[in-house]
Amino acid sequence: MFSEQAGRTAQGLLAPPSAEASTFARVPISTYTNCSQHFRLGERSFNRQYAHIYATRLIQMRPLLLERARQKWGSGIAVKKLCELQTAEKCCIVGTLFKSMQLQPSILREISEEHNLLPQPPRTKYIHQSDELILEDELQRIKLEGAVDIQKLVTGTILAVYGSEREDGKFVVEDHCFADLPRQLPRRGPSTDRFVLLVSGLGLGGGSGESFLGMQLLVDVVTGQLGAEGEQSCAAQISRVILAGNLLSQNTQNKDTINKAKYLTKKTQAASVEAVKMLDEILLQLSASVPVDVMPGEFDPTNYTLPQQPLHHCMFPLAGAYSTLQLVTNPYQADIDGVRFLGTSGQNVNDIFKYSSMEDYLEILEWTLRVGHLSPTAPDTLGCYPFYKTDPFIFTDCPHVYFCGNAPRFQSKELTGADGQQVLLVTIPDFSATQTACLINLRNLTCQPISFSGFSAEEDEGEMEISH
Amino acid sequence: MGFCVCRELRLRAIDLCNYFFLLQVTYKWLSFTLGVHVNQAKQMLYDYVERKRKENSGAQLHVTYLVAGNLIQNGHICHKVAVVREDKLEAMKSKLATIASVHVYSIQKAMLKDSGPLYNTDYDIVKTNLQNCSKFSAIQCAAAVPRTSAEVSQVQTSAQADSQTPNDTHAVNVPTINGHVSSTAKQPSPQPKGIMGMFATKSASKSQDTNKETKPESKETTIATTVSSKVPPKGNAMSNFFGKAAMNKLKVSSECEQPKEEKTVAKPSVSVMEPKSPPSAAVEKPGKKMEPVKIQQKDKRSRAKRMDMSDNEEKEDENLKKKRRRIKRPQSDSSEDEDVSVSPTPQEANPPLPSPEPALKIELEPATIEASTGGKKRKRKRVLKSKTFVDDEGCMVTEKVYESASCTDSEEEFIKSKLPAAHSQSTAAVKKEPKEDRKGLKKGAATASKANKQVSIMGFFQKK
Repeated sequence: MFSEQAGRTAQGLLAPPSAEASTFARVPISTYTNCSQHFRLGERSFNRQYAHIYATRLIQMRPLLLERARQKWGSGIAVKKLCELQTAEKCCIVGTLFKSMQLQPSILREISEEHNLLPQPPRTKYIHQSDELILEDELQRIKLEGAVDIQKLVTGTILAVYGSEREDGKFVVEDHCFADLPRQLPRRGPSTDRFVLLVSGLGLGGGSGESFLGMQLLVDVVTGQLGAEGEQSCAAQISRVILAGNLLSQNTQNKDTINKAKYLTKKTQAASVEAVKMLDEILLQLSASVPVDVMPGEFDPTNYTLPQQPLHHCMFPLAGAYSTLQLVTNPYQADIDGVRFLGTSGQNVNDIFKYSSMEDYLEILEWTLRVGHLSPTAPDTLGCYPFYKTDPFIFTDCPHVYFCGNAPRFQSKELTGADGQQVLLVTIPDFSATQTACLINLRNLTCQPISFSGFSAEEDEGEMEISH
Repeated sequence: MGFCVCRELRLRAIDLCNYFFLLQVTYKWLSFTLGVHVNQAKQMLYDYVERKRKENSGAQLHVTYLVAGNLIQNGHICHKVAVVREDKLEAMKSKLATIASVHVYSIQKAMLKDSGPLYNTDYDIVKTNLQNCSKFSAIQCAAAVPRTSAEVSQVQTSAQADSQTPNDTHAVNVPTINGHVSSTAKQPSPQPKGIMGMFATKSASKSQDTNKETKPESKETTIATTVSSKVPPKGNAMSNFFGKAAMNKLKVSSECEQPKEEKTVAKPSVSVMEPKSPPSAAVEKPGKKMEPVKIQQKDKRSRAKRMDMSDNEEKEDENLKKKRRRIKRPQSDSSEDEDVSVSPTPQEANPPLPSPEPALKIELEPATIEASTGGKKRKRKRVLKSKTFVDDEGCMVTEKVYESASCTDSEEEFIKSKLPAAHSQSTAAVKKEPKEDRKGLKKGAATASKANKQVSIMGFFQKK
């Protein structure tokens, strides 16, 4: 655990000044590889339809699913395409799920004058009792019924179902299976304690000053300003900091300038300008002391569609001078000291949360791993670039640490796969709300939350706890 | 020994700060102000508090502490870091399962209601010490070394090159908008001194436009020799391609009207562009005033497009084909509008360029030489004029164009109009030819009568 051995020198600084003050050297980076090249987009062309991404998704995942299906239901099962289906014949079909949802926001419905509808207000969940599941393959589609949890599944999932077609044209499912965890490369972690700090949702420019002290404390702990000697020496073992999105607050996104008259907004600066300047200063303090990877999030100044491209270095004139600052994509994949990290800023999990009955972010995170796809709802309800050659969101190897940012609370779980894969799942809480970050020990793949607090007037002892 | 003496002074410093200037003294503030290690600052604060309380029980000092430790919460061992007031210190310590650190965070005269002011103090002191914010920290990172500006621009170049590798595009061999825009974000390489400095800064803004120019420069050597006395010598990059061009340029005389086009190497890079654009600017009009030259440089490039062929023919061909990127030529500025409307086809004609090239070479030779002999010694002024003419469909079109206002005006117009006609597709050429000639003739007549005088815009209307 972090700072376990620090107890001995805990009160050491409650003493007259000593002549010598110890300085600790930051642990050097033993190995680091950024494996996110497939999330980088070069020249972008939006001339294509989104059908291609589904086609390539199915083509890529079909072999995996067939293998799982044979493992699960026996190698002798009949695998059919939808066009080859015959009534009452038990077989296995592989396809893409489509969930037809009554409450799904549809731009066409909104502007339809016949219906004379008001725009649908945003809801937390768009599921409804009357939702239907439809399985599509390259040529046809068929409605699913039976042993499938309609509420739980979302559009875009590739799955294999075993059952038979009924007379009325619906497919009765007896069992289904997903691609499950891919194989995992062996983990060559460090032999001594080494930590990676995961933070998300700094929310700068949000207007509320409460989280600022917490943020400053975070930076001070990591850079070794805060704490007694024992704690500082432990902090020197933090080998990397990953900021997983939403560095800016949602408040910086106000679109008033679009609605207001030009003469009123001519000289006003976008709210994000001040926030980015503040971010630059914070990144400078961090980069001067530790390698930092900055992932963009939903409210950050980069493109909206997944995969989000790295923030531009021109926004960080101060911090950009340090080579320790790395601006990376969302999703982000990297090998840090022999441990494979993969994670997003949370948009994928958040979107599945809206269209599925699953309530727990950790559960959704695990589910995406089992389904074999980072973000199945893209491009249906989550913006995505129209890929056509490959779908980069399909898991090719199983990560050792799989995280998502901007979750409502901190959760972590160690997952063991069918083939012996060991994955640490982490949901990183939103820092501006919870003042909590995560420390991952690369030696044994354990995770510990670290929280910060100041004090305020109306607070009493009970409120000093941060609820998880 | 020395330290003990300083300590007294330091304690007195804290005293002064506390009572006269600041509302609170945080360990970080003290550390930066006195230039001491953060841990020493914390100890100093503690020491001060202890002494003051022993000496002077009347003095009211309020202290905040930092407490950190492990806490069991919801089944996790949560590491907690908190700033607490002195009166809550023991309560916090008792909550923690293990205590990792306790030290003084700040001291202040008045009781603090909330920790906001502490943040403000820390923020201010860090802001004034941003460049060495980790100087007094307990952790030093060997990898965190600020890059020099040269390294920064290099990294930015390579970062853009990486971002241009498309993973999901058609085979595109021309770096397009992404690459285009990003090149301007690069920092210009160090500007050459003197006269060139002026051109270079202007060229920096033009580098975007010229980025895709592939036409090699014409008359570099000859102009260079004339200019060399006035202009300080350039870097190696320039002399390299000057050297090559020199061999090809000898027969063509120093014609200032000839467009000065920039030779690009296969890999577009601003740093190479920068040295090139200054020579191009320089070679334009030696001995001219600065402002007109600046405008003229722009004109030159606009004419460059039309005069493409002449330059290309006179140059060696090895790099020509690759470098020619007129397809992706940046959007025309005003002076190029005429070009676009009168002869849109030169741009499309780029792919078939190589074939008509040799044929045109001979055709244009006389034109260029004619123009060159005429214009060599004269002063030229580029002036923005409105030209009204009848285009293909018989509509009157008014275009703004940069023209050389001099007695060789007619010849230039003639050449200008003739070249696009020559380059366009044969059918179009036939159509245009009579019109261009007509226009040229008009001008020729107009200017001939006013030899040696600057042609005014009214001259165009008078001849109708």
